[in-house]
Amino acid sequence: MSSVDDRVPKIMKQGRVAPWLYVTPALIVMSFFIVYPMISTVLLSFRNADSTLPASAACVAGQPCWGIFENYRYALTSSIMLTAFRNNLLWILLMVSGTVAMGLLIAVLADRVRYEKTAKAIIFLPMAISFVGAGVIWKFMYDYGSGKIQIGLLNAILKTVEAPAVSWLTQPGINILALIVVGIWMWTGFCMTILAAALKGVPTEILEAARVDGATEWRVFWRIILPVIMPTIAVVITTMIINVLKIFDIVYVMTGGNYGTEVIANRMYLEMYSSFQSGRATAIAIVLIVVIIPAMIYNIRRFQEQEAMR
Amino acid sequence: MTANSFELAQGPAKPPRKIHWGRVAIYVVLIAAAVFYLLPVYLLIITGMKSFAEVSLARMWDLPSGLHFDSYIKAWFGKESEGIRGLSNNFMNSVYLAVPATLGSALLGSMNGYVLAKWKFRGSDVLFPLILFGMFIPYQSILIPLVQTLQRMHLYGSIPGLIFVHIVYGIPITTLIFRNYYAGIPTELVEASKIDGASFLGIYRHVLFPISMPGFVVVMIWQFQSVWNDFLFGVIVTSRPAVQPITVALNNMAGSYIVEWNVQMAGSILAALPTLLVFIFLGRYFMRGLLAGSLKG
Repeated sequence: MSSVDDRVPKIMKQGRVAPWLYVTPALIVMSFFIVYPMISTVLLSFRNADSTLPASAACVAGQPCWGIFENYRYALTSSIMLTAFRNNLLWILLMVSGTVAMGLLIAVLADRVRYEKTAKAIIFLPMAISFVGAGVIWKFMYDYGSGKIQIGLLNAILKTVEAPAVSWLTQPGINILALIVVGIWMWTGFCMTILAAALKGVPTEILEAARVDGATEWRVFWRIILPVIMPTIAVVITTMIINVLKIFDIVYVMTGGNYGTEVIANRMYLEMYSSFQSGRATAIAIVLIVVIIPAMIYNIRRFQEQEAMR
Repeated sequence: MTANSFELAQGPAKPPRKIHWGRVAIYVVLIAAAVFYLLPVYLLIITGMKSFAEVSLARMWDLPSGLHFDSYIKAWFGKESEGIRGLSNNFMNSVYLAVPATLGSALLGSMNGYVLAKWKFRGSDVLFPLILFGMFIPYQSILIPLVQTLQRMHLYGSIPGLIFVHIVYGIPITTLIFRNYYAGIPTELVEASKIDGASFLGIYRHVLFPISMPGFVVVMIWQFQSVWNDFLFGVIVTSRPAVQPITVALNNMAGSYIVEWNVQMAGSILAALPTLLVFIFLGRYFMRGLLAGSLKG
C-alpha cells in the first residue's frame, strides 16, 4: 500500500476528498434521519402529551411527581410498563434461549444427516413470512371457539384427548408463552443459519483426532465444538436480545398488548397512536434504546475487532 | 463433517447397535422439529383451499375436498356485500414500494460499501460505527420526529414517503453487506486501476460495479424481503387503506371479525407469496445475506 502511495501522490490527494464526496450523501441522510431524530426524541420525552409544555405540567398536586422527568415516572413505574418490563424479560429469557438452543441443536444434528439442506430449509422457511402473516397463522392455531366447536388446532388436539379447551391468547401466563412460541417459530432459522456456518468452521482435523482417541460425540460437542463456536454463540445471543426487544408486530397483531401481554415496543406505539401521548411515547422509546444499548455496544465492538484483524 | 466420517469414526470402537440408536435419535429430533416448523404452513395451505363449511373441527386435518380457489378470489378481490376489502390493491402497493426501495438502497449501499472497504480516510472510523448504530437501533426511538420530518417534506402518508423511509433505513445493512463483499475483492485490482489513472468514480464504475452482481443479488433479496415484510413503517407512514402495503392490509383484514379463517389464510399466503418464492428459488442467497449482514464479518 505505502509503495503505491509513494509512486502516485496525486491520486492519494484526490483520495482525501473524493471518498468524502462519495459518502457525504449517506452521511447527511444518516445524520438527518438517525442522529437528529434521536436527539429530537430525547427532547420530546421532556415535554407534555402534545409537546407544548414541559413534562412537569402534567403533574397533579398531591400526586407523586418527577418534575421534568414526569414521562419517565410513567415509563419506569406505571403498572402497565412494569408488566411490559416483566414480559420483555420473559421474552428475552425464553425466546433467546429457545431460538439459540433449537438453532444449535438442529444445526449440530442436521450436520450429521444426508438431508441437511432440506432440514435447514424447513426450519428457515418461517423467516420468509412477515410477522403479520405469522401472527395471523398462529392466531388460527390458537383459536378458542366460544361455542362447543373448537377450530383452533391446539384446542382441536386437546379435544381429541378430551381435555378442556384453553383460551391461549387471553389467559394470563399462558398467552405470553403462546406469543413467545411464535417468535421462536419465526427466528430459529436465523440462529440456525449463523451457528451452522460457525460449525463448518470447526477444524475437521481436531474433531477427527478426538474421535480417533475414542471421545464420544457428547464429549466432542462439549469439549471441542462448543468452545470453538462460543464467540459466535455470544454474538447470536446479543443480536437476538436486540431483535427480541424490538418485537412489536407479533404482540400488536395477536393480542394488541391486551390480557397482560404488553411489551415495551408495543406500549410505545400505543401511547403514540392510541393515546396521543407523545411525551410518554418518546420516554418509553428512550427507555427501549437504553435497554438495548449494552447489546448494541457489544456487537459494534465485535465488528470493530474484526475490522482490526482485517 | 459428513455422515460417513461420523460413522467411520464411531465404527470399530463401539458395538454397532449403539450407533444405530444414536442415529435414530438424531432423526427423531429432526423430524419432530420439522413437524413443528411445518405444521402451521401445512394448516395455512390446506385451510386456504377450503370452503368455509369445511373449516371445522371434525375436518381440521383433512385435505380440502377439492381445489377451491374461492378463498383466494375473495381475499384478492374482496367482497363488497360482506364488507371485505380485497388485498389486490395493497399487493400492488407493496410491489411499487419494495422494488424501488430495494434498488435504491442497494445502489447507495454499494457506493458506501466501496468507499468503506477500499479507501482509508480520516472520519471513516466515525462513519462506520454510525452505520452500525443505524442498523441496530429500534425504530421506535426515531418514529415521532421521522413522521414530523416526512410531513414537512410532504411525503407523509404516501408510497413515495414509504419508499424514502425504506431506502434511508436500508442504507446501514446494505452498506455493511457490500463493504464485506468488496473487502473480499483483491485490493490489487483497485490499486492497479489507480495507477492506470482511473478516477475515484471510474474505479467504482468500471472495476467494482461490473463484478458486483453477486453482491447485488444478496443485498437485493435481503432488502426485498425486509421491505415486503415490514409492518411498523407501513402502519405509521400510511394511514389511508388505498396506499397501505400488504402487511398492513392483511392485519386489517385479520382484525375484522367478519372475515372467515379460510379467507384469512388465503390472504396470508398471498401476502407471503413473493418472499416465499424468492426463498424457494433463491434460498441460498437469502441465507448468504443473513450471514453477510449478521456479524459473520
